Amino acid sequence: PHVLRAFHLFLGTLQPADFDIIHSPGEDLAFTKVREAISDNIQAKKLSISSPTSPIQMIEHYHVHSISISMPASPSAFDRERSKGIFESEKGGSDITNGKINHPISATGGLQQQNQSKFHSQPMPIGNSHSNTSPDIKILDSPECQQQISWNSRIKDERYDSFKTWFGKLGRQMCNLRGKPQEPEEVTDAKNAKPEAVPAVGRYFDALEGPELDKLKVLIFCIQAILWKTLATSPSMTFLHVSPTINPSLWCISLALMGLVSAIYMLKIIFYFEAVRREYYHPVRVNFFFAPWITCLFLAIGAPPSVAIKLHAELWYVLMAPIFCLELKIYGQWMSGGQRKLSRVANPSNHLSIVGNFVGALLGASMGLKEGPIFFFAVGLAHYTVLFVTLYQRLPTNKTLPKELHPVFFLFVAAPSVACMAWAKITGNFGYCSKIAYFTALFLYASLAVRINFFRGFRFSLAWWAYTFPMTGASIATIRYSAEVENTFTRTLSVALSAISTLTVAVMLVSTIIHAFVLHDLFPNDISIAITERRAKASKGCMHPVTSSSDTVDSEACTSSKVEGHLHLPALSGATQVQL
Amino acid sequence: MEAAVELRQIQLQVLEPVAAAATGKALSKFSMLTRFHAGYFRISLSLCGQALLWKTLIESSTETRALRAVVSRLPSFAFVLLWSLAFLTLLALCFLYVARCVLRFRSVRAEFAHHVGMNYLFAPWISWLLLLQSAPFLRPDTNGYLLLWCLFSLPILALDVKIYGQWFTQGKKFLSMVANPSSQISVIGNLVGARAAAQMGWRESALCMFSLGIAHYLVLFVTLYQRLLDSNSLPAMLRPVFFLFFAAPSMASLAWDSISSTFDAPCKMLFFLSLFLFASLVCRPALFRRSMRRFSVAWWAYSFPLSVLALAATEYAQEVKGAVANMLMLILSVLSMVVTLVLLVFTAIKANDLLPHDDPFMCSFNNMQ
Repeated sequence: PHVLRAFHLFLGTLQPADFDIIHSPGEDLAFTKVREAISDNIQAKKLSISSPTSPIQMIEHYHVHSISISMPASPSAFDRERSKGIFESEKGGSDITNGKINHPISATGGLQQQNQSKFHSQPMPIGNSHSNTSPDIKILDSPECQQQISWNSRIKDERYDSFKTWFGKLGRQMCNLRGKPQEPEEVTDAKNAKPEAVPAVGRYFDALEGPELDKLKVLIFCIQAILWKTLATSPSMTFLHVSPTINPSLWCISLALMGLVSAIYMLKIIFYFEAVRREYYHPVRVNFFFAPWITCLFLAIGAPPSVAIKLHAELWYVLMAPIFCLELKIYGQWMSGGQRKLSRVANPSNHLSIVGNFVGALLGASMGLKEGPIFFFAVGLAHYTVLFVTLYQRLPTNKTLPKELHPVFFLFVAAPSVACMAWAKITGNFGYCSKIAYFTALFLYASLAVRINFFRGFRFSLAWWAYTFPMTGASIATIRYSAEVENTFTRTLSVALSAISTLTVAVMLVSTIIHAFVLHDLFPNDISIAITERRAKASKGCMHPVTSSSDTVDSEACTSSKVEGHLHLPALSGATQVQL
Repeated sequence: MEAAVELRQIQLQVLEPVAAAATGKALSKFSMLTRFHAGYFRISLSLCGQALLWKTLIESSTETRALRAVVSRLPSFAFVLLWSLAFLTLLALCFLYVARCVLRFRSVRAEFAHHVGMNYLFAPWISWLLLLQSAPFLRPDTNGYLLLWCLFSLPILALDVKIYGQWFTQGKKFLSMVANPSSQISVIGNLVGARAAAQMGWRESALCMFSLGIAHYLVLFVTLYQRLLDSNSLPAMLRPVFFLFFAAPSMASLAWDSISSTFDAPCKMLFFLSLFLFASLVCRPALFRRSMRRFSVAWWAYSFPLSVLALAATEYAQEVKGAVANMLMLILSVLSMVVTLVLLVFTAIKANDLLPHDDPFMCSFNNMQ
């Protein structure tokens, strides 16, 4: 059990972390962001655990996922060792990058790196041995980094120069990511990650209570969500990467993880196809099918220049084909698909399908394609308009999201940020349309950020990882904007936003680790929910009156609108009751 | 058979207070005008759309080699024949509808009040405008063209004011209650008028009508996607009307192309959106199964959107001269021609079905009377 759990965690962390966005403001400066593979993994894992399903089932999945993922056993030393191993490798990379914080943007990137590396080094004293380039790496606290950043921000030209000088380095680092794209051929890499653990888990639970495909599905869904979340955390840290080996190494790690996850998910598809199929029919979960493809797109975007050159346009077509097919299905459902009316099932996770379009347009434009990116941008824009209006309306027919999943509202910020960058890439300059999209994103960010009360009042959960992706996206867009409109305010803003997103990621990591290993309350109700799930499991068809435990099971099989009844979660988690 | 006839008579008596003590012959005459409704202008829409497509293909064939391959197979007189057929059909339908207005004014009023019927009141004017644009003998810079454009656009504008105003002011006819896919015809009307005006050189009028169309299209697009009404909005027999989903952005793309003189990014985006919606609908054959069981005038709703999409593809292929674009244009043009031909054949063979006694559209708004 411990092994399985550790393995699970490991798998969860194995998400493509690197996410590079190469954009060229006027002079082809590349903004590449490398995501921390490890942090991403953890985030991804957390996300998958908290994967938002339909509003009704969200809480359930929320808890259930955690349950299904974690074995009832507490993390053993073995687990810790494994985690450490992961962290150390990450730390090594981040240490190198932390070494140089000369420029605001790079500083922010470095800050994130540092935060993460710092984070890594904290729980494991072993990691300190990795530091090589700069002795002061580990010491950097956020305030220190920020001081340096603010100091650096005064150096205007230098920052720009550093962009240029590090562009190559970043590019190279990013290139590694590109090697990965051929990996994800399955619908969801996150799901792939799950299959590897899933059989083990499945067997484990079989021993306990019998096969539960739904649990597997939940697991897979969690990992999907994690994958998606890790995409989010792509700060503009690349400028801080002094060493050219950081990005490649991180990118390679992401690549490897992605491959692993894909393999795992293939296994899941082979062994537990039913679970996958039911997930596909679920009106909310189906949005997360986009997650692996978006991850791959980000990897391709973030690939180092040396690898980027080798990428062919065919890769773009290969990556976009599944997204296109998924879109035909999902948007067609919006238009004419029976019960799954947008007015009923619209929820912020629908943004995922829209973001996929914009990310694809961004990658295509980076590769030099002309018509394809415009196609996906147009489709994404049209459907984004619809979704935006619908979500803003908060129609009474729409089911409200449970409070624990309110962080998903931050996805509002993600779509316009990526759209603005995609349009800047397509047209070659940061014109009016991009600025309009950017300001929309900024406004939504601000308007959500000040609603502290909206996001308070519930304990830490994996859904909090939903904050990171949009924050990172907004930071990246801000950096792009500040490259276009250069003044102190924009630079400060970009630094601040990057710092915030880095800090958020670090805090998330810490909290997740703490909750997972120290407090053990990240996945409460393991056994009880597993048991209840199993009881309710048998119904595979849709239209099931939901019994107390059948929600997760049925919800996946049925459309959310069909689920009725109460959802009783075990008392361990403070029995949340969701009335459907 | 007798019972059915009697039942029909009873129905008509109940629903049509005017046709009180009519004989069988009078009944049939009245019933034809009663059963005839503006939806029949789909036929003229399709034919006029085809004529415009042929004209565009012929005119642009000199530039594109691929077009020449298609156009060379069209004898020049075939286009004139098609245009004449469209013209005569439109004349006949207009005459019938005028007769209906005069003799069955209550039906016309009821039709205007129906959430689907009111949109088809745009259809005759759209057909006339399309015919004007595709006229082989009338050039856009002549006074006759100008006069005719004014004549055909003013009713569109008047209908706009009435219907769009109803959308957000009138209690029973809010957009959220009446929105259905056929509402896009009103948008298409504005866009066709804009294109005709742009070809004339009247850019401001073109821009005005375009902005009217596009603004309301935005609202309508969102509302239709939300499907607030869903089951009440459109009977299953009228599902072919869903093809209008991709007719509107194609027409918008064409209109903007005429206004801005180049097929630039917004035109491309609108064209791609319509392509996507077309692909999305074509992948859902189950949606149209029920309406395909029996031939009805609703089938004619397939042809016009395909013609408009082929037109947009033609303009796109002229701008982006590539193999894929040309292929797309060829496929769509051939598809629209084939569909129109098949519909013509079906109409000729099953003319009886064209005016069925139990046309669901008629029943629904007869009930409203």
